[in-house]
Amino acid sequence: MNRKEFLSDCGKMGLAGVTLSLFPWLESCSPKAKLAVQGEKVRIGIIGTGSRGLFHIKHLVQMPQAEVVALCDNYRPHLDNAAQYYPEAKLYDDYRRLLENRDVQGVIIATPLYLHAPMTLAAMEAGKEVFCEKSMAYTLDEALEVYNRRKALGRVLFIGQQRLFDPKYVKAMQMIHEGVIGEVVGVRNYWYRNNNWRREVPSPELERHINWRLYSEYSRGLMTELACHQLQNGSWAMGQLPEKVMGAGSLIHWNKEDKRDVYDTVSAIFTYPNGVNMTFESIISNKHFGMGEQILGTKGTIDLVTAMHYTDEPAPKGSGMHQFIEQIERGVMSNSVFAGTSWAAESSALAPGKPIMQDVKVVSGESSVGAEADGSKELLEAFLHAVITGKQPEKVLEESYYATQFALLADKAMHENAILTLDEKYKVPYEPLK
Amino acid sequence: MQYHHSCKNPLYPTSLCSFVAMHTMVEVLMVGCTQAEGERLAHEVQQRVWDMERRFNRFDITSPLSVVNTKAAAEAVSVDDELYMALEVCEVFRRGTKGYFSVAPTSVVGLAPYLLNASQHTVQLCSGDVQIDMGGFAKGFAAEQIKTLLIEAGIGRGVVNFGNSSIAAIGCHPYGEWWGVGVENPLCKGIQACEVRLCNSAMSLSGRTPNGEYHIINPHTGVKVAQDELILVEGRSALVAEVLSTALYAAPKLERGAILSQFAGYEATEIYCTADGVKSRKIE
Ligand SMILES: NC(=O)c1ccc[n+]([C@@H]2O[C@H](COP(=O)([O-])OP(=O)(O)OC[C@H]3O[C@@H](n4cnc5c(N)ncnc54)[C@H](O)[C@@H]3O)[C@@H](O)[C@H]2O)c1
Repeated sequence: MNRKEFLSDCGKMGLAGVTLSLFPWLESCSPKAKLAVQGEKVRIGIIGTGSRGLFHIKHLVQMPQAEVVALCDNYRPHLDNAAQYYPEAKLYDDYRRLLENRDVQGVIIATPLYLHAPMTLAAMEAGKEVFCEKSMAYTLDEALEVYNRRKALGRVLFIGQQRLFDPKYVKAMQMIHEGVIGEVVGVRNYWYRNNNWRREVPSPELERHINWRLYSEYSRGLMTELACHQLQNGSWAMGQLPEKVMGAGSLIHWNKEDKRDVYDTVSAIFTYPNGVNMTFESIISNKHFGMGEQILGTKGTIDLVTAMHYTDEPAPKGSGMHQFIEQIERGVMSNSVFAGTSWAAESSALAPGKPIMQDVKVVSGESSVGAEADGSKELLEAFLHAVITGKQPEKVLEESYYATQFALLADKAMHENAILTLDEKYKVPYEPLK
Repeated sequence: MQYHHSCKNPLYPTSLCSFVAMHTMVEVLMVGCTQAEGERLAHEVQQRVWDMERRFNRFDITSPLSVVNTKAAAEAVSVDDELYMALEVCEVFRRGTKGYFSVAPTSVVGLAPYLLNASQHTVQLCSGDVQIDMGGFAKGFAAEQIKTLLIEAGIGRGVVNFGNSSIAAIGCHPYGEWWGVGVENPLCKGIQACEVRLCNSAMSLSGRTPNGEYHIINPHTGVKVAQDELILVEGRSALVAEVLSTALYAAPKLERGAILSQFAGYEATEIYCTADGVKSRKIE
């Protein structure tokens, strides 16, 4: 058995008890697959050592299979922060010089959005395997170019869509595919915060370098920074891609304070071929509802963020009255525990739900750096694994590709005030993650 | 409506119907009737509750209550017997609970919200902002009426459950001397905080909603009461139990004993639940 066969055989083992065989891109997370690459090391270079870059470094230092040999950032304080973790690493302020370093096998790119495609392309051309943060690219054309070039070069390419590696999402999607909530009839995503999304700037000329998120020259705002994480929920749950997209965006609150030009309020609707709608909504001047992702089915609802399952059946078996009936049928008597302040009517979110698995870590979505236990660590491990084996996992890049394309398309729909469909030229082969 | 009949125990066949009304789930368990009889009664019960819901629905502009809410501030409005009687009873309860039960808790703080004229059968609202909401009365009233309907139809054992918070028992469990109802600790799903034994009696619980919201208003201040304990009231009538549990929850602790003493034969308990346990205190 060669290594590839061996690795593909490892799919039956558990990532926190989840059936990996159903989700081939998680194979590398199984203990057996990890064992197979034990002792191997990957030499990594990191481009962009800002907050997300450091977040990855804090995971990488715990991973014996990762050896960070090169660091690059064109803002010295950030580079110095990272260098403290890896004093031996070579330091660069120009990523092209880092890519010339033959020692580097794989690169992690955590720079502003507009740099993702040029840096990913250059890295792949230089023979490196790549992990690039989301979104995949700043334009639809660039995303396609990156996708096609990867294929032509046969490189490994991961995008930072960590939900695909988060055990609670994996388990929830498995339940949805098994029909636990019936037919999927709606997908709701929202992300609310109440902060100006700014970072402190030590001197004014650094404003655009540090607060790149706020300017459309470098970022597409809430759609590429937040929405792209959630937009894969619809395709993952239903196994199809949206047919048309509409949306509205505006700058309603934070423009009073600065000169940003990306929306601080967006709403978008994605309609699938079967007529089902997925929504995304984000406001950053009210945080009451926080972050939410819900798959709505004819028989129930799964809340992906809290990993809860709610049923739509009004009187579930086992209610107080059913307990009395069972007692009478068996000729016994005991208490039936059901009295409370009120039965929660209609809104199933109020009805008591059940956790879909034990020990769930719920992430609030408030941090713009990342959160522990949200799949980011597993994603990084899977990337290292893929660099060792040289094998790009199936289907997962396509999911990231389309999350980016639909985030960008929705942003376009908002600016053009139009209902848009994804042009045929951007369609790449898609196979559902089922 | 969902209807389920079981004769697995031929000595005591059971019939259960459940339907949604008055923003809650209504369940009626009847012991000892045939499938057909149970089903007929179930439909009758549902019809009766829906009629009542319609009459007392202030959001339905055609309901008698809406007519009162829109017109009776300007002039006395004559109303049918049932609504008149209900308003009369509510006023008795308001006075009997030192004003802590009110069908218009946010409007005229601490005062009578309306005047009744017995000879004319009319009602007049005391001010333009009075809006009568029978929500705190209707469930107990309906539970009481269903109980009477079933007893008149010959049912000797059964349970009427209005949304788990207002429960009336007919007779007792066929294999015991009461119906054992466990009050769930709102912080621990399925775990019993205390037990209530119902036999020809009723109980009502007031507190935060299952969602954790405070919703009961103190009529003397017009604001929501923010207390975490549950108030449990047990006694003969589901209506009185319902009214009392609301009033006691709204009333300050020190006044609760005096209010309860106006209602002979009713017992009330304050229940404090935490994730680790339960403390309770009888109101005296
Ligand atoms: N997957 C997630 O959950 C997640 C969370 C946070 C951020 N991100 C993504 O990570 C990326 C970085 O975000 P961040 O919050 O770390 O931003 P950041 O501004 O803190 O970091 C970006 C870094 O890139 C550096 N940089 C800019 N231009 C460069 C260049 N030409 N050469 C080298 N370095 C350059 C900056 O100096 C900065 O240190 C973004 O694409 C963001 O969307 C992903």
